[in-house]
Amino acid sequence: MSEFDPHALAEEDFLEEVRSVDFWFQAVDGYLRDRSYGRVDGTPEPVMEAGERDNLITTLCNYCVGETAALEASSGLVVIAPNRHAKIFLATQVLDEARHLEVFIRRLSDLGVEDPEHEIELRANPNLVRFKDRLLEFVADRDWDAAVFAQNVILETMEYTVFRAHLQDADPVTAQVLDGVVKDERRHLGFGENDLGRRLVAMPEKRERLAEVRAELDELVLVTFEEVQDSVGVERSARADLGGEYLAAVERLGLT
Amino acid sequence: MADFLSQYSIQRWLEMCPQGYLEDTVYGHSPELKEPVILVGNETLREESIRTTVQLVVGERCALAASSGLVNAAPDFPSKRFLATQTLDEARHVEIFTRRLFDLGVKEDDLESTLDEFANPNLVKFAEVLLEKVEAGDFIAGVVGQNIVLEGMAFSVFEMLEAVSREANPKFAETLTGTIADERRHVGFGENRIGSLIREHPERKADVEKMQAEMTYHMLATFADSFRGNAAVVEETRAVAAAEGFGPETAEWHGTDLAAASPEEMEAILADTVLGEFKTRLGRIGLEYQSPPVPA
Amino acid sequence: MSTVEQPDRETELAELVEQHRARRAEGSERRHYDLDDRGFNEVPKKWRKFYRHWLGAGDTLAPNEIICPVCKVVIRSVKEIRAGDRLYCMPCMSRLLVVEADDGTLVPEVVY
Repeated sequence: MSEFDPHALAEEDFLEEVRSVDFWFQAVDGYLRDRSYGRVDGTPEPVMEAGERDNLITTLCNYCVGETAALEASSGLVVIAPNRHAKIFLATQVLDEARHLEVFIRRLSDLGVEDPEHEIELRANPNLVRFKDRLLEFVADRDWDAAVFAQNVILETMEYTVFRAHLQDADPVTAQVLDGVVKDERRHLGFGENDLGRRLVAMPEKRERLAEVRAELDELVLVTFEEVQDSVGVERSARADLGGEYLAAVERLGLT
Repeated sequence: MADFLSQYSIQRWLEMCPQGYLEDTVYGHSPELKEPVILVGNETLREESIRTTVQLVVGERCALAASSGLVNAAPDFPSKRFLATQTLDEARHVEIFTRRLFDLGVKEDDLESTLDEFANPNLVKFAEVLLEKVEAGDFIAGVVGQNIVLEGMAFSVFEMLEAVSREANPKFAETLTGTIADERRHVGFGENRIGSLIREHPERKADVEKMQAEMTYHMLATFADSFRGNAAVVEETRAVAAAEGFGPETAEWHGTDLAAASPEEMEAILADTVLGEFKTRLGRIGLEYQSPPVPA
Repeated sequence: MSTVEQPDRETELAELVEQHRARRAEGSERRHYDLDDRGFNEVPKKWRKFYRHWLGAGDTLAPNEIICPVCKVVIRSVKEIRAGDRLYCMPCMSRLLVVEADDGTLVPEVVY
């Protein structure tokens, strides 16, 4: 029998462990220690055609829009989180999202973008911007369930799947950056699904409201999915599976 | 501004904190360290430790709400990024001080009621003044309240507690050392970032100074409650500790031996230190320290 | 550059059926496993050997392994996995209950 068996933990101890800052410190240490701004030092900058570079810049700008939404939403959610575990976890998510923004902005600079913040504004996908606005409205209204659903289920699942798809064909530096981000996203989408799932079990009447939120945001999400994948160059045949991850999460939550 | 803020990147934070002074710690201290048996076993000492720790949790909860709330109000990405690191720092402080309450025997189910029972009402009001500004999205007032006033107070309180605990309770002292290292960054950001904003918005001075006076009032009232108003308990705790052979023979801090000082003297040295820091820091960012009415 | 862990669900299902049948054929004795570190670096060191990445086509699940439905990481146990087992996915914080599906396969359900 192992000295440390996670599966032998009592449920409360498991939650206390995985939502702690201590867990976060040790978890990110495993995959960020040898990296600077998400990349391994000494990795050569790849040579790119102008068109390819421009596509990558557009893609990264939109990743920044998503990460800005997540940074602003997760920080706004700390104060309305219903318990201390959720507050602590969201504080780690705030840091993760700020780091993602930092590494993507750094990557834009590497690619020669002189004013990344201006470039992000210019190239932002309007559907993603609308999604962000709606998400921040939920936060401003202190609507915990809708905000966690929009952020930690919809947005995080979208990012998780798109980043993983992009990682397959990305240049080595971008792939290193995305690799660290994907590892963070696992925590975020897991938190969202588990928190909401538990609340829906306790308060099933909330399901109807969240189904409405889902109906409202689905179009924005799926259109954005398509457009971001176009810019990343994901094969059409692979897309059903990507959308499938989102639909599977929604189904597990009973929001179909 | 850009150059100064580039010092506060997440990358640098990762290298300094989790990979730096917090490496190999568990909840802020070396894994082998425990609360002294005598502190947990003696009811008078235990209750006084719980009372002190509760104030730390209340202060850090306020700092967590304020720093996370200010992310959205920040006018630029580098400031948002710094506040994201501060949010994580404050969450860590909430966690380690909450953990200390559990180590002192507070049951998880009793956490909130323990906080309610022991939280100093003046400290709660202090927090409310700040959080009102944060809620209103007032970045300048929020950062002055949080990173100059609250953090300035915390910095000195932690230093004082660390001086008293260094010999008698290495676990708590180590926990405090890590938080002091964090607070240095926070007060540094407050001064450096707000200085330029105050110059750009001189019309905000009066309002921000009024908030500082109000927060200072509640802070001094908290100190008064904790020392003069609690003098009998402080003296009893000290007598019990002496009888048990627990506690330092001397604990020098800012020229005062905290092990021998009366509650009034301890309150005076803490208040003088914090107010002295306020005046210096506020002066550097172009604000004039406002004296509050002396609490009764 | 990292590979993407995208399990092929049909293959995964077929493998699970196969493994479950094999386990039943072996009888009721529950096997124990000494876990080794497979390089999964997304959780603190002491928990790392309990997880690994799904390596895609060609990868197979051992009787003490199951895939997290939420984040697709392979969860490993020191025991052969059976219906009724509770497992935790630390990378995504999910709590799972192993159930036996109608077709006899063992599947993890998320417990909220």
